[in-house]
Amino acid sequence: METVVKISGLVKSYKELTAVNDLDLEIKEGEVFGLLGPNGSGKSTTINCLLALLDLDKGDIEIFGKKMTPTAYDIKKDIGVIMQNVAVFEELTVYENIDYFCGLYITDKATRKQYVDEAIKFSGLEDFVKFRPKKLSGGLLRRLNIACGIAHKPKLIILDEPTVAVDPQSRNKILEGIIELNKNGATVIYTSHYMEEVEQICSRIAIIDKGKKIAEGTKEELKKMVKNTETITILACEMEGSLLGEINELPHVIESGLEDKKLTVHFSGGKHNLLRVLDCLQKHDVSFGRVYSELPTLNDVFLELTGTALRDQEG
Amino acid sequence: MFLHNLKYEMLSSLRVKEVIIWLIIFPIALGTCFKVAFSSVYENTMVFETIDVAVVEETDEFSAQMFRQVIGDVKMEDEPMFKAKYTTKEKALKLLEDDKVSAVIFEGDPFEGSGFSMKTASNGLKATIVQSFLDQYSHNIELIMTAVTDSGSGTYEDVLSTLSAEVNSVAKKQMTHGNTDMYVQYFYNLLAMVALYGSLSGLHIAIGAQANLSALGARRNVSPTPKLIQITASLCATFIQEAVCTAVAVTYTHFVLGIDYGDRLGFVYLAAIIGGCLGVSLGFMVGSIGRMSMGAKNAICNAVSLGLCFFSGLMDGNMKAKVELSAPWFNKINPAALISDSIYCLNVYEDLSRYWEKIVSMMIVAVVLTLLGFLMTRRRRYASV
Repeated sequence: METVVKISGLVKSYKELTAVNDLDLEIKEGEVFGLLGPNGSGKSTTINCLLALLDLDKGDIEIFGKKMTPTAYDIKKDIGVIMQNVAVFEELTVYENIDYFCGLYITDKATRKQYVDEAIKFSGLEDFVKFRPKKLSGGLLRRLNIACGIAHKPKLIILDEPTVAVDPQSRNKILEGIIELNKNGATVIYTSHYMEEVEQICSRIAIIDKGKKIAEGTKEELKKMVKNTETITILACEMEGSLLGEINELPHVIESGLEDKKLTVHFSGGKHNLLRVLDCLQKHDVSFGRVYSELPTLNDVFLELTGTALRDQEG
Repeated sequence: MFLHNLKYEMLSSLRVKEVIIWLIIFPIALGTCFKVAFSSVYENTMVFETIDVAVVEETDEFSAQMFRQVIGDVKMEDEPMFKAKYTTKEKALKLLEDDKVSAVIFEGDPFEGSGFSMKTASNGLKATIVQSFLDQYSHNIELIMTAVTDSGSGTYEDVLSTLSAEVNSVAKKQMTHGNTDMYVQYFYNLLAMVALYGSLSGLHIAIGAQANLSALGARRNVSPTPKLIQITASLCATFIQEAVCTAVAVTYTHFVLGIDYGDRLGFVYLAAIIGGCLGVSLGFMVGSIGRMSMGAKNAICNAVSLGLCFFSGLMDGNMKAKVELSAPWFNKINPAALISDSIYCLNVYEDLSRYWEKIVSMMIVAVVLTLLGFLMTRRRRYASV
C-alpha cells in the first residue's frame, strides 16, 4: 500500500504552549486512520498543519508523495475536508452549498451535477435540498457539512471531530457513511475524542496527548499494550471481604476489590476467568446478582499510558 | 471557476438580511425622515421677512459706505434682507430695547483691522441671520485684502471692480439646471452613507476569505481554487450588490421623494455606484487588518463609516466647511466627502471637470484600499486557526 500522508518531526507552538511536539505519522492508502486524544491534545492543530493552514515551527508534511504547501493545488484537489465547525453559507440552500463547494474542485458542470446529486443522496439530504442551513437540525447540518466536504469524491478525506453535538441517529449515519466512503476507495483521517467511534470505524489509531503521540497501531495492538485485559464486575455480591484474598490467588488476577456489594476483579491474560471467579463464589455459597465481563477499551489504554482517563479530560 | 464563484457570491450577498436592512430599508426610512423634516424647514425659510436693524454710524470712510451699500442691496428671494436705520449708538440701543429692530450693528473698518459687531435682544433666527451676514461680509473683505496685498499695487476700488467682473463672468459659467438648496446636501450625504455602508459587505469578504477568522475561510483556503480568484469574485459580487443598493437609494430619493438632483441623473447614479465600490473597498481593507473578532471589526467599520459621514456633513451641514478650514487634505480623501462632493459638483458646475476629478479620486482611493486589503489577506499560512 502506498503512503498517502507522511508527517515527520512536526512541531507547532503557540507562544509558550507546544501544541504538537515532534509528531511522526504515516498513513497508508485505504486506511481509516484515527487520531484519538482529549480536547486540546493537538489533533486539530495537526490537521491544520497537514492542510498547510498553519505556520510550522519544524517538520515536513507530504501528501500523495508531494510536499504539502498552501499553493499545492494539485494535491488539494484530491483532499476533502470536514472541519470541526460547520462551514457553510447561511444564505444558500443545501443544494447550492454543496454545488458551490463542489465547484471549487470540479469545473465540468455535468460531472459536478452528478457528484452533487450523489452527495445529497449519500448524506440523506434529498428532502432538504431547498432548505437553508438555519432550518436544519444539528444532525442534518453536520451531514450538510460532510456533503460539502466529500461531494467532489476526494481520494483523501479528513474529518475533524465531525460528530460533535450530534444526536445518536445522525452519528450512526455519519459513521456508516465514513465506512462507505472508505469502501469506495477513499483514505480517511478521523479525529475524535470519542473512543467508541474511533474503535468502531478506524483500522489504525494514533493516540495523542499534550501534542505527543503516545501510541499507534490497530485497536487490537493498542489493547495489548495494557496489563488489564479483562475486568469482571459482579453486583449484589453477598460475600465477606476476607474472600478477596482467595480471589486474588486465582490465576491471572491483578487485583480485586469489594465496595457496596460490588465485586470488581481485574485480569491480565488468561482464559475462562469468569468461570473461575463464579466457581469460587459457588464454593463459598455466595449469592450474587448481575455479572459483567468487560474487555479493555481505548480509554483503558489511554489511562494506562497517561495515568488519566480520556473521559476525565474531555472539556 | 471565477464565474462559479461570482454566481454564488452574488446569490449569497443579495440574500443577506443585514444588507437589505442597512443598505435598502434604513436609507429609505432615513431619506423619508429627511424629506419630512427638511421640507418644513425649507418651507419656513420661504416665508422670509425683512429684518429691521439699526446701524450705528461711526465713520464715513470708504469701507462704511461700501457696507451700507451692501446691506441695502442684499436680498432674499427678491425681498430686501435688511431694513436699516442709520443712527447713533444711544438711539440704536433704544430701538432695540423698544423691540423696533432685531439687532444693532456697530460698524467697524475691516481694512484697518476693526471688525463688525452686533447686539441683539435675544437669540433667534433673525439674530443668526444677521450674525451670519456679518461673518460672511468680514470674510469677503478679508479675501479682498489678501488679494490687494498679494497684487502689491492698485487700490481697493480697482481690486473690487476686477473681482466683481470676475465673479460675474464665473457666475454665468456656473449656471446649471441643478438644485443647490442647502437641504439637498443632506441627501447627498445620505447617498454617501449608503455607499459607505457597503463597507459592511466588504468586511464580510475579508472575514470569509481568511482561515483564521472563519470556518468558511478555512474551508475555502483548503480548496484548490486560488484565494485571488475567490476574493476577486467576492469583490465583484459585492460591487454589483452595492451598485444595486445605491441605485435603489438614488431612484427612491429622486423618483419617490422628489429630490431634485438636476438634469444629469445618469452621472448621479455613476457617482453613487462608484462611491459604493469605494465603501466596499474600505470595509475589505478594515476587515483584512489583524486578527480581531467579527464583532470588533463590525464595530470599527460602522464607527469609521459614521465618522467619515460626520466629517462630510451628514449630521452637521457646516462640518465639511469646518474641515476644509482646518484640514483640507482630509476632504480630498474622505470617501463620504468625495461621494457627496461629486454629486454636489454636478448641481453647481456646468463643467464636468470637477465631477470627474472627484470620480477619479474615488477610484484611486478604492483601488488603494483594495490593494491594501489584498496585501493583508495574501498570507498563505496562519499563526493560528
